[in-house]
This record gives sequence, structure tokens and C-alpha cells, in this order.
Amino acid sequence: MSRLLRVLLLLILVLAFVVLLPWQWYPREWRVWYADNFGASGFRQQAETIPATVSENVEEACPPDIRGWRKSQSIAGVDIAASPNCLADNPHAVAAFVKGTNNVGHMTLMDARLSPDAVVKGRDLDGDGDPDEIHIRLEVFELNGASPDLDVPVTQYSIAPGVTPGLWVFAPKSAGMSTENFESLLAQPGLRLPSPAIRVEQGDKVIVTLENTHYMPHTIHFHGVDHPFMTANGGGNDGVPVASEKPVMPGKQRSYEMQPRQTGTMFYHCHVEVQAHVLMGLNGLFVVEENRPNNWVQTFNIGDGFVRHSSVAVKEKYDREYDLHYLDLDKELGEKIQQSNDPRIVTQLINRDYNISQADFEYYTLNGRSFPYTARDSLIVTAPDELVKLRVVNGGSEGVALHTHGHKVTITHYDGVEHPKPSRITRDVVWIASAQRVDLELSTENDGLHSYGEGVWLLHDHQERGVTTNGFGPGGNVSAIVYERYLQDDGWPMTFGMSWNNYLTSGFYQRQDDGSGVTPLLPGVEKSGPSVLRLVILTALAGLFVGLVAGWLWRVRPRG
Amino acid sequence: MVKIQVVLFLMGLLLVAVNPVHGADEHHHHHHQMPGMSMDDTGMVMGNNKSTLPDDCKEITGEYEINVQAGTSYTKSYMSTMFGYSEHEWRVEPCSRITVNFKNEDDVRHQWMLHGLPKYLYDRGMFHMEASGGHAQTGVFIVPSDNKTYLVHCDIAQHMEKGMKAQLIVGSGSGDLWSIPGVSADFERPSGIVFKNPVFVVLLVGLVFMVVFVLGFRFFRI
Ligand SMILES: [Cu+2]
Ligand SMILES: [Cu+2]
Repeated sequence: MSRLLRVLLLLILVLAFVVLLPWQWYPREWRVWYADNFGASGFRQQAETIPATVSENVEEACPPDIRGWRKSQSIAGVDIAASPNCLADNPHAVAAFVKGTNNVGHMTLMDARLSPDAVVKGRDLDGDGDPDEIHIRLEVFELNGASPDLDVPVTQYSIAPGVTPGLWVFAPKSAGMSTENFESLLAQPGLRLPSPAIRVEQGDKVIVTLENTHYMPHTIHFHGVDHPFMTANGGGNDGVPVASEKPVMPGKQRSYEMQPRQTGTMFYHCHVEVQAHVLMGLNGLFVVEENRPNNWVQTFNIGDGFVRHSSVAVKEKYDREYDLHYLDLDKELGEKIQQSNDPRIVTQLINRDYNISQADFEYYTLNGRSFPYTARDSLIVTAPDELVKLRVVNGGSEGVALHTHGHKVTITHYDGVEHPKPSRITRDVVWIASAQRVDLELSTENDGLHSYGEGVWLLHDHQERGVTTNGFGPGGNVSAIVYERYLQDDGWPMTFGMSWNNYLTSGFYQRQDDGSGVTPLLPGVEKSGPSVLRLVILTALAGLFVGLVAGWLWRVRPRG
Repeated sequence: MVKIQVVLFLMGLLLVAVNPVHGADEHHHHHHQMPGMSMDDTGMVMGNNKSTLPDDCKEITGEYEINVQAGTSYTKSYMSTMFGYSEHEWRVEPCSRITVNFKNEDDVRHQWMLHGLPKYLYDRGMFHMEASGGHAQTGVFIVPSDNKTYLVHCDIAQHMEKGMKAQLIVGSGSGDLWSIPGVSADFERPSGIVFKNPVFVVLLVGLVFMVVFVLGFRFFRI
């Protein structure tokens, strides 16, 4: 090949390289100079919008009530109110909690999946027609934990479609399997977030026995509940490992004693490594009800929400009662228990590796669920001209700015203590700090102040991250105050806005490995940028150029 | 690829432990007190069967008594566990009758639950004992004639995962189950950046193959 041809070829290569190099890669002045002399580059059509597709994997919004749990019924002589929500509490368990697991039959216990000594109700000490000796047994369950054999969490509990953070919860002592059945990995309905609301009557002699069925040490601290520092026989009774007692080790048990003199909405939680254990789910409501004759209280409210058998005092003033438990969860904390099956390593990860001061919180739950699952069992269902009692606790680490659409609520109690009537505040955003409780009175009188009329009125944390799940909205603790007229027969709310189908798919709340939220469910456009083909051609040209130059030099030198 | 392994393993586990897999909502309708069932404060026994032979057995050919203790103290030899049985493997002959004396030495509930028995004879194919803290239960069951390995475990959340897993081998059995303390290894959970992402697996495998191929190619050319 002649020298001229060779130089020409090299020049062509260089020219091709310069032209193919994306324009945005050149310094700005060069681009300006080019545009001044040769004009701008030609118009390029952008990629078509990919139409949104409806996923085929949309979950059923409201699973059918095949067991007949929603209707009002009488079991073992206990009247159980109809549950308006889609998913209702197990009425057999409600009956056993009201009568005591020692006072109901074998069949009721089997249906309730409870141990005969879960809630033992003893003598009537003040002769007013209800038991005043209450012995409660709590166990500790791990939900969405690790397995040495599977790559998926076991004893599964989803807070939202496809969202299964590792959790620890207290639950009344159960009988039998933790899963729905042997073929299933799903937790049985009695095992769920939040740790259930506990109810006793003022003056009851209460014993709470913690049976530690979990592989980590735990305790119970009764926050705000009147209890002595030591038990009658000198044992620790405040549940605090650094002050009152050693933690309850796996396979062991301890009893706490109390006879609360004051009423109110209180709190209980584990006090071991609180920066992790409390926020793993080991906290719940503890309500001391006013003493009344024939006052058989519902000792546990599984999953909180609607109270199907309210106390006598509550029924005197209110038409309905709801327990609301707010909890924010750190995804990274929950993942710790899924990373290893070795309790020693899990302990290391939780106690020494986890750093809450660097944490951010991805999941915001109301009664253990995030939107849209909140609509299954945590709607505040009501009707015009009612008074509804809401007992609210913030079990999480951040405050909750609870906003009621369409209503202004009145705060009647702070931390279980009644607020004097003349100075009560009526407002539409109620701030609840960590571990705080407020009792709210929701009036549905359509007077433009307490209520603006019937509808589906949202109820949510107004700190906007509270309405997200993994950073995606709508999610988080969004629920609603729904008037019966706006409720369908199955308990699902009538809505008039956007379809909820996308939110009922497991992909919606998942982030990709690169942290982005791209899901095939959403409309999107193709990414524009330098194409891979162009990059390959450029590389090939550069390689060819270098090769030719090297070859030319290598050939020329020996001759010269 | 990793997912497929998991699914295959799951299916295998189900096949080993549960002969015909029935509908998942079967459990909604077990309200009637079963024969062979007892329950009180000390726990319960389900599937108790002293005398009814499985269809494939002509007579009871063996008589066994298993004395097993449960508790956190039985984990000393298995450092990564928290709950355990005094033994994690038993061997019996086909068509034998087995009496299990189950003693719970902890202060919380434990179970000795065996899966995969014939469903016409045992409710949901299960022989199930649950003992409250400090209590004991005794139950009897008769195994069919086939050589099979049965899963024994405690189904309280995380108890099987943290060590309460054992196997009953009937005859020559049907192979060891995974992650039985002192018997078999944990199933290898895929972990690390390479095995979480199939692309890395392909790249890694491709690279290694090429290097070895080139080495071999050159070796034979010399
Ligand atoms: Cu704890
Ligand atoms: Cu156990």
C-alpha cells in the first residue's frame, strides 16, 4: 500500500471518530463554534412512550370472608359486634379473650388457636360480677425470619404487597403451629404486627407471664401502667435489664405483677436493646379500663383496630372504639435477622452492627400494615351523629402528625390522663411523639367543625414520608374515616379516584438494585444517551487507528 | 438459576414430607375433635394411634419406644442453634408401632411433630405432640410399610430453623433431610454479589471456562 493511501486511511479514521463522538462529550466552546459555523444538529425524534400496562398479578383487594368472621355473633355467651372492615378478628379468639381461655370450651380454643392458659380469669374480688384476677401469658414470635433451607423469609407476614420486613412481636400464648398449615409459609392470623392491645380493668390483680419462645433475650416494661418496682417475692418488675432484672433468656419465663389504680391508655414494650427490640415490633397498647359492674373486657385486641367487645365504660359514652398503633420500621434493621440463621451472628448484627443514629425508616405502618392493606382492616368505619373513641399510640421512633380529612377531633386524654374539659383542644392535626398516647373523640355530627359530612375521608400522618412505603406513594400509614354509606358489602371502601390495582402488586413498592423505582407497571420512555453500538464502533475505530499506526511504525523503523 | 434451586428444594421437601399435597385451605375445616386427640394445660397430642394399621401393613412388625427431651440445653454440640432435642435421628422398621415419650425441659412450649403419614389415617398426615413448659406428653403412632424419611420438628416460629429439627428413618429411609443438627449440613443459601445476580454467574463461569480452555489448548499444542 502506498504511503499516501495509508495516510488517507488514517485521516478518514480520525474524521470518523471525531464525527461519531457524541456532541455532548466535546467542550462547550467547541460546540458553540461548530453551531456558529455549521448550524445546530438536525432534529432527532425521541423514543415513543411505552404505554402503561396493567399487571396480571394484581392481588385481590378484599379476600372473601369464607369463615364468617365479620358478622355479629355470640360465642360462648359473649356478644361480638359485627366487624365492618374487610378482614375481621377471629371471633372465637375474641370470645376466649373476654371469658378467659380457662372458661371456654375445647372447640372455641381450637378455633382460636389459643393455649388453655393464655388468659386465665379467676375470682371476682370486689363482687361486681366480673373476674378481677387476670393471668396473661405472652410469647414472642419472629415473623419473616431466616431459614437455613430457604432463600425466602419464613413465618411470613406482609405489611404491604411483597413487603416482608423481619419483625418480632408479642402474642398471646397460642397452641399448635405458627404457620397457617404445614404446606404454608404464612403466619397464622393470630401472629401479626402490631403486638396486640391488652385490656384490663382498674383494680384487677394482673399477672403477665413472658414465655420467651424466641432465640433472643427479652423483657416487658409496662410504660405508664401503675406497677411496683419489685414483685411480691422481690423479683424485678420494671422490665429494665440495666436497672431491675436480668433479661428473660430463650426458653425461660418470668411473671410481672400489677394492680393498676389509675385508668388510661398506656403502653408496653421490651426493654432489651431498646434501639432495636422496640422498633422490631415488640411494643403495644396497654389499656386500663374504668371499673364497672359486669365489665368483662376483651383482654387482647389482635392486630388492634376495631374493638369488637368494648368495655362498659366506653359503651356508656361512645358508639364505637378503635385502637390505632403507629410504627415506623427500618428496612435495614429488619434485614439483620434475615442475613444469618446463627443466633450469635444475629446478636452481633443487632447489638453491635446496627447503628440507629445513621438509620432512615422506610416503612410506616398503622396497626401493622401499610396502604393499601390498611384498607382491609384499619378503616375507621362510622355513621352520621356518632361518637367514636380512638386510642392512639405511636410505637415508632419518629413523631406522627395525624391528620383527619373532613373532621376535627378532640383530644380527651394525653398519656392516659384525662385532660380537663374546658381546656380540651379540637384540631385536625394531632402530634404524637414517640411512645405517646392520645385518646381522641371523633364526632360525626355534620356541623362543619367536627365533621363536614359523609364520605371517604383520609386519615394519615401529614409528615409526607409517613404516606410512603420504601419511598413510594401512596403507601405508609394512609387509612380513612369511612361512613357506612360509602362502604361496600365486603368492607372495601367505595372510591372515585384512581384505580388501586398498581398498589396491589408486589412490584410497586420494590426498588431496583440501583436504587431506582423503575417498574414495568409504570409508563416510561426509553433512556436516551450514547448508544452501546456507537461506543463499540468508536472503540473499534480507536483500536484500528492505534493498530495501524503501531504497525506502520514497526514496519518503517527497520528499513530506515 | 438460584431461584430454581430453591423451588426444586421446596418441592422436594414437600414431596418427602407430604405425600399428596392438598389444597391450602384444608385447615379451615378441622374444627371437629379428632379421634386420637387430647388437649389440656400441659399440652396436646394429635394423631394418637395405638391399633389402627395402615392399609399396607398386615401386622405390627416392630415395637419401639423413643424417649426424647427438648430444650435450650440440648444445643451445646451445635453452636449455631438455640433450641434442640436430645436426639435428632431415630431408625425404625416399616409397619412398626412407636411410643414417643416427649419431655419438655424448657419453661416455654415445644412440639414434636411428625409429617408425611397417610392422610386417611392421620389428620393432615400428622402426628403432633405439644408440651407446655416443664411438662411431658406421650403418644403412639404406627408407620406404613414404605422406606421413607419423615421430618420431625417444632413449628413454633424459628424453633425448627434454630435447631429443633430431626428425622425418623423408616426402613432404609429416603435420604437425609437438610440441616438436621449432627446429621446433615444446612442447605447452601445463595449469598454474595456473584450468586445474587445471574449475570455475574454467567460472566464468572465464562471467564473460568475460557482460561482453562486456552491453557488446555496450548498444553496439547506443545
Ligand atoms: Cu426484646
Ligand atoms: Cu419449640
